[in-house]
Amino acid sequence: MKLSTHYNRVNILTSVIVLIVTGIIYYLFIHLILTNKLDKDLVVEENEIRQYTDTYQKLPLPASYIDQRVSYGNVTGNAHGIREFSYTNYYNPREKEIEPGRSLITTVRLGDKNILVTITKSRVESEDLVRIILLITIIVTLVLLIVLTLINRFMLNRLWRPFFAILNRMKGFEVSKMDTISGEPTRIDEFNELNRSVNAMAEKVKQDYKELKSFTDNASHEMMTPLAVINSKLDSLLQTEPFSEQQGALLEDIYQATGRLSRLHQSLLLLSRIENNLISDARKIDVKELVEEKRRQFHELFERDGLHIEMHLSDQKIIMSRYLADILLNNLFSNAVRHNISGGTIRIELSEHKLILSNTGKTLNIQNRMFDRFSKSTESEGMGLGLAISKQICNLYGFNIEYSHAGNMHFFSIYLG
Amino acid sequence: MKILVIEDEQALYESILSYFTGDGNICEHAADFEAGVEKIELYSYDCILLDLGLPGGEGLEILSRLKKLNKKEGVLIISARHSLDDRLSGLDLGADDYLVKPFHLSELKARVSAIVRRKNFDGDSVIKFNEMTIDVGAMKVNIDGTPVFLTKKEFDLLVYFLSNKNKVVTKNAMAEHLWGDEIDLSDDFDFIYTHVKNLKKKLSEAGARDYVRSVYGIGYKFAEA
Repeated sequence: MKLSTHYNRVNILTSVIVLIVTGIIYYLFIHLILTNKLDKDLVVEENEIRQYTDTYQKLPLPASYIDQRVSYGNVTGNAHGIREFSYTNYYNPREKEIEPGRSLITTVRLGDKNILVTITKSRVESEDLVRIILLITIIVTLVLLIVLTLINRFMLNRLWRPFFAILNRMKGFEVSKMDTISGEPTRIDEFNELNRSVNAMAEKVKQDYKELKSFTDNASHEMMTPLAVINSKLDSLLQTEPFSEQQGALLEDIYQATGRLSRLHQSLLLLSRIENNLISDARKIDVKELVEEKRRQFHELFERDGLHIEMHLSDQKIIMSRYLADILLNNLFSNAVRHNISGGTIRIELSEHKLILSNTGKTLNIQNRMFDRFSKSTESEGMGLGLAISKQICNLYGFNIEYSHAGNMHFFSIYLG
Repeated sequence: MKILVIEDEQALYESILSYFTGDGNICEHAADFEAGVEKIELYSYDCILLDLGLPGGEGLEILSRLKKLNKKEGVLIISARHSLDDRLSGLDLGADDYLVKPFHLSELKARVSAIVRRKNFDGDSVIKFNEMTIDVGAMKVNIDGTPVFLTKKEFDLLVYFLSNKNKVVTKNAMAEHLWGDEIDLSDDFDFIYTHVKNLKKKLSEAGARDYVRSVYGIGYKFAEA
């Protein structure tokens, strides 16, 4: 939930509750006050009737005045001394309609008789008053709500603009591009501080990146140079033939080991470079095309092992480094070839957001550590880095790579994006 | 061809020089930035092998100076830096190719030969070797006028052999050349044997002599017997 939405929700909810409560209290109080006033009027009327009765020894005429009606009746049973207020209906003869009313039922003593007197007053005016007050309260509430919403929408949006500007720049920040994050100038201290902190962080990140890059470069250079010398000297040594059979075998072993060492070093460097996100040539890759290219590239290897290839490819494009996409597919293909059985099958399925490579093979004992570095089955000739690199590449782009197996089939599924 | 090697690692440039010298090639050498700049300003070469990290300056700087001088030399960058940025900026600056250390000398020779061929013949070059005529641009091989139909890999292999005439090339180097060094070929290069056998068979059926011989199981040598 957005901060402003959250804030709005709390703000508006509180305002509405407070206003409703205020409205209710208003209503109750005004209602009470008006009822009191009506009751007083009724008592005044009652007193007048009593005085009249005391003075003239007869009842005043049961007449209707404006908004008031007096009627008499006989006391039935032991209703002596009865005196109560109640809400009743009042028939307005002019308007010819029933209005809400308030009645006082009391008894008046005339001679030795008790007369039941009912005085009823119309409540229509006080009801109107209450209604107007309620209406005003509701209008005020609505106006307040609208004003609050507008303020929140426009004011908050404007207030937060520098924040979003900084956020956008942070999103667009790419350490490898060595650009700076410049914020929008603002009068708000918090955002200025955020701006400063973000800039300081970016500076530090860039500094670290530079150091890391130069370290990686240097390490690579320092280790590759002796390796390059060994390689070139071996190549030179080879030209000084003839050798004995034994020397030839020794040379071949040295070649193998040097080759492995070079590849191992290259793989480790590659891993660290992927981890540190030092590869930045991301662009649109046509996966289908790439898979087909790899199939051609691996053609001879498939042939060598008599592998049967099945491909079901649909169009799929992703954004990633071409270099890493190459490596990812190379590793998966190599893996599928290396761990296959002679005359086995490799199946490649590319559907939307999903690439599945499956191959026949022996059952393995490293299922859980499939993607760990240097973990490999005992008979594997590889270095155990291929899948670790694949995993790292997938991590870099937010792809999910999973291994599963069913019988003698091994599945590598990559969920693209 | 005339080649300049700008490389500071003595052991490495000695190997390169000894591998390239002979067969009518002239090789010169510069061990640091200054010497490199001096040589490119004074002389002309067919191809320059350029290391990026040099004492006294950046190899890429030599490349841009070369371009400023409007020289047409082919440039092959040899660097320990595997960084893509370096590769791209090198190629942007006008380098013809980029080879990462460590490399096989046979691979280096093949790449340099390709650059020189491209520079000198605009890609339409024809390699002649005794009875063989190889049109690199059109990918056609003739033995005394008889066409030989080779697969892409077999053709590449033949060109590779011819670039490394009289040299022993390892199976390892051949595999990396044909399939790229990014494919982990699991140290099992015996399947190279099949390709070499097929190539030899096709060539001899068209009437070529047998120039390729196996060397101790390590590799092959293409030479006049």
